[in-house]
Amino acid sequence: MQSTEINYKNIYYPPGGILMWILIFLELITFGAALIVLVINSKDDPEIFHQSRLTLNASFGAINTVFLLTSGFFMATTVHQIKINNLQKASFYLNLTMLGGLLFLLLKGLEYYLKIDAGYTIGYNTFYTFYWLLTGFHVIHVIVGLVILLFMQSGINKSKALIEDVEASAAFWHMCDLIWLLLFPVIYLIL
Amino acid sequence: MQKKNIYTLVLLLLLTITTAFISNNFDQLKIAIIIILTLSGIKFLTVVFQFMELNRAHQFWKVLIIGFLSLFIGIISILL
Repeated sequence: MQSTEINYKNIYYPPGGILMWILIFLELITFGAALIVLVINSKDDPEIFHQSRLTLNASFGAINTVFLLTSGFFMATTVHQIKINNLQKASFYLNLTMLGGLLFLLLKGLEYYLKIDAGYTIGYNTFYTFYWLLTGFHVIHVIVGLVILLFMQSGINKSKALIEDVEASAAFWHMCDLIWLLLFPVIYLIL
Repeated sequence: MQKKNIYTLVLLLLLTITTAFISNNFDQLKIAIIIILTLSGIKFLTVVFQFMELNRAHQFWKVLIIGFLSLFIGIISILL
């Protein structure tokens, strides 16, 4: 494992790197703005949005939150193990991180299947258009995150990963948590 | 570090259960909506500062993320 001393207090070197944090803010602003537009749209026909929201399975949403948060915990543990140069443990925790992501996708897949089966497709109403677009884009981020983690796993196994790359990958994975933490309450709980 | 992360995870899971409970039992009450958004905001900041270690970063990044979250929760709370 190659590592260099990083001064995180420097404005140009937040943990994960400045480019990753610019990306994180752009993503948060995009999803945040879309959620605000969803809420503005719900004002036109609050009853339809409320009834549509009630057709969602909030338990699925809550369990998926648990999967992502637990996965985020294992990701933080992985980074910690890499920093103390315990690569074997890091590799183990990274597998648990990816397992959390896979479980999220599995449950999301089941949720999507049930929704399509019940006829709640993207064109069903405005609420469901937002639901499919927002959760769909989030799922794409999780899939991309898992691919990044696979590369990271390969780097750890070959002892070739740089700590900067590991932190950037971890920051991307945590970003998936953050986006979900904005989506879950607005889409599943409060409309 | 490791112990702190475990406590953080437990806190995050408890907050998730609490928000789901409030949503199930106090559907569409304005105060419930604000509590749910606030608890979700706490979860968001906990992930940012503990798991992403932004607490070690320059003040600029901390202010930016808190500013974004406050704006988001503020706008949603006013609109609902």
